[in-house]
Amino acid sequence: MRLRADHVAGAFFVAFGLLVLAISGDLPFGDLSLPGSGFMPKILAVLTALFGAVLMMRAGETRPFAALHWNDAKHAALVVAITAAAILLLERLGFATTAVLMIFALLTIIERRRLAPAAAYSLGVVIITYVTFVYVLKTPLEAGPFGF
Amino acid sequence: MDRRNFVIGSAAVAAFAAVRARAADDYPNRAITMISPFPPGGVSDTITRPLDAALEKVFKQPVVLENKTGAAGAVGAQYVAAAKPDGYTLLTHIVSISGFAAVDRLFGRTPKFTNDSFVPIARIVADPIVMIVNKDLPYRSLKELVDDAKAHPNKLIYSSSGLYGASHIPTALFAKAAGNLQMRHLPTNGGGPAVTAVLGGNVNFFMSPTSIALSHIRAGKVRPLAVSSAQRIKSLPDVPTFRESGYDLEYYFWVGIFAPKGTPEPIIKILREGIRQAAHSREFLDTLANLGQDLAYMDQPEFAAFWAVDAKRQEDAINAIGRVQG
Amino acid sequence: MDTTLHSLYLGFSVALQPANAWYAFLGCLVGTLVGVLPGIGPLAGISILLPVTFGLNATQAIIMLAGIYYGSQYGGSTTSILMRIPGEASSVMTCVDGYAMAQRGRAGAALCIAAVGSWIGGTFGVLVLTMVAPPLATIAIKFGPPEYTALLVLGLIFLAYMSSTSLIRTLLMACLGLLLGMIGIDNMTGDFRYSFNLAELGDGIGIVPVAVGLFGLGEILSTPSVSAVKDVIAPRLRELLPTRQEWREAALPIGRGTALGFIIGIIPGSAHVISSFLSYALEKRVSRHPERFGKGAVAGVAGPETANNAASTGAFVPLLALGIPTSPITAVLIGALMIHGVQVGPTLVNEHPDVFWGFVASMYVGNVMLLALNLPLVGLFVTVLRIPYAYLYPMIIMFCIVGVYEVNNSIVDVWIMLIMGVLGYALRKFDFDPAPLVLGLVISPILEQSLRQSLIMSNGNYLIFVSRPIALGLLAVSATLLALAGLSFVLKQRDWRARLAAAEAGEAER
Repeated sequence: MRLRADHVAGAFFVAFGLLVLAISGDLPFGDLSLPGSGFMPKILAVLTALFGAVLMMRAGETRPFAALHWNDAKHAALVVAITAAAILLLERLGFATTAVLMIFALLTIIERRRLAPAAAYSLGVVIITYVTFVYVLKTPLEAGPFGF
Repeated sequence: MDRRNFVIGSAAVAAFAAVRARAADDYPNRAITMISPFPPGGVSDTITRPLDAALEKVFKQPVVLENKTGAAGAVGAQYVAAAKPDGYTLLTHIVSISGFAAVDRLFGRTPKFTNDSFVPIARIVADPIVMIVNKDLPYRSLKELVDDAKAHPNKLIYSSSGLYGASHIPTALFAKAAGNLQMRHLPTNGGGPAVTAVLGGNVNFFMSPTSIALSHIRAGKVRPLAVSSAQRIKSLPDVPTFRESGYDLEYYFWVGIFAPKGTPEPIIKILREGIRQAAHSREFLDTLANLGQDLAYMDQPEFAAFWAVDAKRQEDAINAIGRVQG
Repeated sequence: MDTTLHSLYLGFSVALQPANAWYAFLGCLVGTLVGVLPGIGPLAGISILLPVTFGLNATQAIIMLAGIYYGSQYGGSTTSILMRIPGEASSVMTCVDGYAMAQRGRAGAALCIAAVGSWIGGTFGVLVLTMVAPPLATIAIKFGPPEYTALLVLGLIFLAYMSSTSLIRTLLMACLGLLLGMIGIDNMTGDFRYSFNLAELGDGIGIVPVAVGLFGLGEILSTPSVSAVKDVIAPRLRELLPTRQEWREAALPIGRGTALGFIIGIIPGSAHVISSFLSYALEKRVSRHPERFGKGAVAGVAGPETANNAASTGAFVPLLALGIPTSPITAVLIGALMIHGVQVGPTLVNEHPDVFWGFVASMYVGNVMLLALNLPLVGLFVTVLRIPYAYLYPMIIMFCIVGVYEVNNSIVDVWIMLIMGVLGYALRKFDFDPAPLVLGLVISPILEQSLRQSLIMSNGNYLIFVSRPIALGLLAVSATLLALAGLSFVLKQRDWRARLAAAEAGEAER
């Protein structure tokens, strides 16, 4: 039997449903006339696992797992890494600095653009955004140690 | 430690001390952030926005209201409890601030903050609670409602703005004062939905902050049975207090301003004075009157004493409610 | 009727005073800006500008604030269509077909249809509001927990029409969304569920972080710039307007969206969020070409956008007639009116006719202004697509972060957005459609709460759902839909879904 995409997806949902069931052990189920806080979550977890199993059983017609293309994974991983770094910095450096750094990093590291246009673009976009939010709409953006 | 390091070290300490002293001297020299733990539209938000506008004029610095909402007001409170105590991050919160730690203990969780995490600065308003019933219900007085509840345990349903929240607590205190009434509780997501439940006839009564219920009372859609203040209130002169009706209940939906623990005393002093001026400014008083509220200002010492008593009352009520089955 | 016309005349004489018209315009302008920029929703926009209105009189204040409110409803579709960022829950469905239209070079047409649909939905809403607000509000208030439960059961059945993937995939996504909606403090018992000791998860996972992650960021992760370079989707100027054919396809959905949105809008509570989802499902259910949905169907933009706007106007019915806030936004508006000394409630019309009718008339005026403001802006917005993708997507990521962070000022929300972005990437790899997940997330907290509230009201008796007429009616509609589906299953009719599955399987074989 070939491993198909839906075997993997279905197995994930079965595992996820069982995991939810496992960590909700202490939530009371209640009964039909007075459902407790574990009532809906447990029913849903069972349904998720059940539907996951159905997906696995009917996986025969779907694409083989090996046929999935992962050539965009490197791009995705880099974007996620840079975005995560930006989120870590957001409350430390403030919005303006973080956003300039993030756009600059995305342009230079992933897109391999030249430094000068990348710097100009990131500064420009952030300054326009900042002015619109803070001065035109008076919405505070997270401030950093430099006061912006 | 060699001599050179020592010199640099003490210089740094001195410089740091100087910065600190100066910080109090020219406080506030930049924008103050006031955290509101409730979404816009809530009572604390409607009161604090005009207050902040008045405070800006006193301090000549921007006072920015920032909504950090979640977990019935716990998220914002937790944020301020962990904030730098430099007087630039303040908290506006309501009566329910005292309940979080008690609820956490009830569920066996470690509280992330307690009342000691905050320095009270001033109480701004204290809105009595009014018990309202739908106009189509037969109850003309509080006693009739209590008699019915006693005769038929678990028949009456009341709504609240949320479990262990600012209207659930007084209802629990009332049930206890009236001889442990057995009633059903319908929690909703806030004051608005709780009033709607009464208007739509889905529950029997709701103990509402007066300012929320007033327009519905005036329109004759709901009937007020009692207010929770010590004396009758100006806006509802014909409605008896709970005490007059024979039930020992005094309770206010108050809004106060807090700073994180460890905020330097000189800064607290400046804040107290600034908020006192702002709260008594003409424009703020006008706004309050329009909102149907009276200024119930308390300065720090008085507010701290009031809060201690109020917090005890909250904790007792939460423990009396206990964990809800189901 | 005569008195209504007379009152409306009074209203227009108030609304058309130069100063008042100016504040309506200002409000619409700011509202459009607020709606276009992700992050500042109408809620934040109104409350931030509230202190600005302290110097105005009550009529001007409410005209301006309401302008911000419905102006932002117009603008909400822009980022959904151009960048696939849903600025708020109600524009999630616009992301699906609106963005697909933009990919086919029809961004201008999608924006135009959204604007015109919004205009019709909004204007019709005001019209009904003028005629029958008080009696409608009295009916709407009967909508208690049992009716809510029945409405959401109907919503669950509509879920099956949300997506063009197979039924089992749709159900899995819905379950996942419903499960995500369980996170947070249980309102009925105070139990913490799956919140991993994070207070920020206490109120549950927000819809905006999930939707922005799944749609906005997920799209970027699955689109490396090398594969997007040749895609020039910036249209020429004369291609901005919808074609005659597109108008024809939009007409009926706009009509249905108006009615559906308005009815859902007047219900007190948070139901208005689901109006755009229900409209989308409805359009797909009645469409003769359901397989086009998800690939840029005009009806998939026209219906939800109209419903969304009609619902936000409908929300004014309980606000103005009864003084009940049906959503956080109307609560802010009530607060604003009270600050200006106007008590909102049944007595408003008699005590302050100039405020009430001036406000109503200004909504007519404002809707026309918004249309005039938004149609020329379409050309401007579409130029965004001329930015090379390599430069465009870093900016989109920045807007995703700002948009999510600004809603609650919560960094946890931004992390959720990132996680959902990765999930969106994975789901796409395995051919899952995230739209039913978002609807599940929207429905589940309300469904669970109203079910349990109903049972508290009835002491555990399920007969409460069939003993109340509105609830019974809604459940009957659900049962009919289920029966029809079952019948076609028994008769072994190959419906569009089966054809689609067959087509998918055929593709997979190759």
